[in-house]
Amino acid sequence: MTPSWQIRRHALFWLLTAYAAVIALHAEHLPRWILVAAVIAACWRIQCFRGAWPLPGRPLKLGLLAMCLTGLLLEYGNPIGLEPMVALLVSAYVMKLLEMVHRRDAYLVVLLAFFVAALAALFDQSISGAGYVLGCLLLVLAALIGLHQSDTTSGRLRPLRGAAALLFQAMPLMILMFLLMPRVGALWSVPIQTHKAKTGVTDTMSPGDFSQLGRSAELAFRVTFDGAIPPQRQLYWRGLVLSKFDGRVWSRTFRTSLDDGALLQWYGQQPKHWDQLIERRGDPLRYSVVIEPTQQPWLYALNTALPGGRGVALTRDFRLISAQPVTSKQQYQVISWLDYRVESANLSPDRRKIELQLPDGFNPRAVALAQRWRRLESDDRALVQRVLNLYNREFIYTLQPPLLGRDSVDEFLFDTQRGFCEHFAGSFVFLMRAAGIPARVVAGYQGGERHPDGYLSVRQYDAHAWAEVWLPDEGWVSIDPTAHVAPERIEGDIQTLLGDEEGFLADSPASLMRFRHIGWINRLRLDMEALNYHWALWVLGYDQKQQSFLRGLLGDTSPLRIALALLGTGGGLVLLIGLWKLIPDRPKPLDPLDRQFQALCRKLERGGCARLSGEGPRAFAERIGLEQPELAEQVMAISRAYEGMRYGEQASQPELLAKAVKRLPAIRR
Amino acid sequence: MAVSVRGFFQQRFSRWLARRLPPSSAVSLGRRNLFIFPSATGFAFLLLIGLCWLAATNYENNLVFGITCLLASLFVVSILHSFANLSGLTVSCLKVTPGFADKTLTVELLLRQPRSRFRDGLGCSFAGSEKVMAAMSGVTECRVKLTVPAPQRGLHDPGRLRIESIYPVGLLRAWTYVDLAIRGLVYPRPLFPDSYPPGRRTTGEGLLQGGEGGDDFVGLNRYRPGDSLKHVAWKHYAREQGLYTKHYGDVLDRQLWLDWDQFPGLDREARLSRLCGLLLQIVPLGQPYGLRLLGLVLEPAMGDAHRQRVLAELALFEIPNREGFL
Repeated sequence: MTPSWQIRRHALFWLLTAYAAVIALHAEHLPRWILVAAVIAACWRIQCFRGAWPLPGRPLKLGLLAMCLTGLLLEYGNPIGLEPMVALLVSAYVMKLLEMVHRRDAYLVVLLAFFVAALAALFDQSISGAGYVLGCLLLVLAALIGLHQSDTTSGRLRPLRGAAALLFQAMPLMILMFLLMPRVGALWSVPIQTHKAKTGVTDTMSPGDFSQLGRSAELAFRVTFDGAIPPQRQLYWRGLVLSKFDGRVWSRTFRTSLDDGALLQWYGQQPKHWDQLIERRGDPLRYSVVIEPTQQPWLYALNTALPGGRGVALTRDFRLISAQPVTSKQQYQVISWLDYRVESANLSPDRRKIELQLPDGFNPRAVALAQRWRRLESDDRALVQRVLNLYNREFIYTLQPPLLGRDSVDEFLFDTQRGFCEHFAGSFVFLMRAAGIPARVVAGYQGGERHPDGYLSVRQYDAHAWAEVWLPDEGWVSIDPTAHVAPERIEGDIQTLLGDEEGFLADSPASLMRFRHIGWINRLRLDMEALNYHWALWVLGYDQKQQSFLRGLLGDTSPLRIALALLGTGGGLVLLIGLWKLIPDRPKPLDPLDRQFQALCRKLERGGCARLSGEGPRAFAERIGLEQPELAEQVMAISRAYEGMRYGEQASQPELLAKAVKRLPAIRR
Repeated sequence: MAVSVRGFFQQRFSRWLARRLPPSSAVSLGRRNLFIFPSATGFAFLLLIGLCWLAATNYENNLVFGITCLLASLFVVSILHSFANLSGLTVSCLKVTPGFADKTLTVELLLRQPRSRFRDGLGCSFAGSEKVMAAMSGVTECRVKLTVPAPQRGLHDPGRLRIESIYPVGLLRAWTYVDLAIRGLVYPRPLFPDSYPPGRRTTGEGLLQGGEGGDDFVGLNRYRPGDSLKHVAWKHYAREQGLYTKHYGDVLDRQLWLDWDQFPGLDREARLSRLCGLLLQIVPLGQPYGLRLLGLVLEPAMGDAHRQRVLAELALFEIPNREGFL
């Protein structure tokens, strides 16, 4: 096969540079073998260009295709999903590189590169990730320009410069479109990412889970309050309620419905029957949360909460839940009443049974202790206090608790007495249930770091577990046993408490958090945090803000007005670029003397004596002298003066010429 | 039917084009005469934008949405860049090199721009000619040579010049059809007669001697095996006009004539073709020659100007609107 089209050296150079950058974007979540294949394909292409190797023939290409498809099937099993799709696209990109025979093949390679680069933004939404994608788009654009550049004299960098100019000029219009274009919700449900599990609170709790989270400084979510941030000890970010205990692991109970109707109350829906069980008192607290991807549907909020925006529901156990798992950074609005009473009237026997459930044959010593205390204290409050006092007296809060055996609660309460929040919450709920008080474990985060810009960042090491007990007339009351062991943990922050302990931040070795005691590093860290925060709020979460932002900008968000704004401003921008781009086409302004001489020529031309092309001023004047003897003297004088001023020593005086031309009488035909 | 419909529209289009872009010796490209439309790649790019939008919408990902906006915006801005690659150029025809019928004419175009802006991928073509690409890098002028087929003797109009470019991104094609009022001279297709007919006696002093062995050149004959190699007309052979032997005799009239009446019984084009072939054979001999056509006599002379004049007369014989070409 003889290629009818030959790719030029600089075009191939940019094509391969873009190729390397785009594939590197996805390197993290691509199977290793695709990367190897990509390198081989690039080398092959270079060898083809040098004339050393031929392009692969049809049987070889079919073989490669079959190998790729088999590889993808073996790698992913289920071909539906974002990662298999991207892997398929990348392998198509790699193979198309070896099939570039015509220019249209090169176009396809470039378009694939654009698409693959754009999809990388689904995986990494950080500022640096976005910058990298932008860099890749620049390189792909350079490759596209390189394909059309026939001129080889102007250097290898010209395509890149051209691409940078294009991209730069496209920016204003892009920002305008980003701000104004309406967002439509998902048209159909898409396969979610099968990301490896990230660190974060899960829906089960066993000893050691939360101390593991203490090793990570990764961000969990950020909160912006409409007013002041409440005191640290009130910041209990409730995420999950764990009511089921199997002797070791606390987990959720799955019930499709309770006796009082549907379990979910979506934002904007009529309040469900059970909404009356919540007694909200005092002023509500409004805030918005930007949550990092968790791959889970549950959201975090202060008790007791109501969803403040679309796509969020209140559950029957008064938590918030998202319509879809949080696969990317997401923003949601919440209204919370910190002064509340829930389910204070009564707990149905069914519910009592769930919240009192304990596995048989576990932790006999703890059961005995609870029953003994129950006999001593008839009042539930007093019993709760007795247990908390126990913790306060003898227990130690540590990130590295000793391992526990089968009867974990017994061993913790009577032997080791060292634990992290999950040990305290778990054993507390166990004792309560054993004493006949309905109780459950709540998992979430506690506290957060206040940023100078007025928001709160909550990190993985803020993960926390506490308890809720049901008391007659009071309903569900939050009780945090940890607060009685280590009040500093709740009042201050975990850093000061555990910062020196081995294991804290062990999974985030490069985190700037480690150097927060060094002033300028801490400032730098806080500035970067602020940048990330605004990025999340304004770029990643813009669809939440769009309506109010546009209302502020345009006064109204009717489609007509948005369309007008888009067309008007966009048209203006394009016009500006167009003017700037096309102005150099206008010839340089004429010399004033030339202009006067041209005026003379025009005047004579109107009389039928046009100056011939290539006729000099002198020759022209002489010819006019012959054709129109009555003008001879004047025309000759003007042309002499023009010559003298323009090319001779005479001072340039265009106004003199203008006067002379004006005085010249028109030729009568 | 389809052909006639298409023909109808083509006619309408060329009439509209003639009104909109009238013939002119130099045309400046700009808003008035440039067309621009997405290329096939451009439509594929729009499809890509659609796909990115779908991904952004379905994953509710604002970053991908931003990239989609960037791609769309790039498309809009590249309209301006594609347009600017042609806009501001002035096209004129420098000269047309005449050619023989059934061969080609060479049209030399001049592309000028007021300032030395970088332009690339300027494709120039006439209907039926190959596209020639030009680039301007740091210059204000560039010349482009196009070869167009010359179908028949006379004045040939190669039609409108198409200038197009997809630079810089290939997503949009800007083009125009300019009528530079080009007319090229097409000489008759040369035919080489078997035997070179000698000049005709014109004056009393000149008397043709048919006999062999003189000193003066009389004419050419097709080579026959056995002819002396000394007499072979190598110059003609080198020009691939055939193998001839020079034929010498005593000629009194040393002036050669290309005469209309030399080929009785042939029609006009056949005669002109033979006269043209004869001319090509005579010129290398370095002797004066004249031309006699119906109603025209060019006295014998020599030199390049004379040769071109004779060729032009042959080309324009009984051709209307021939002013300015002689």
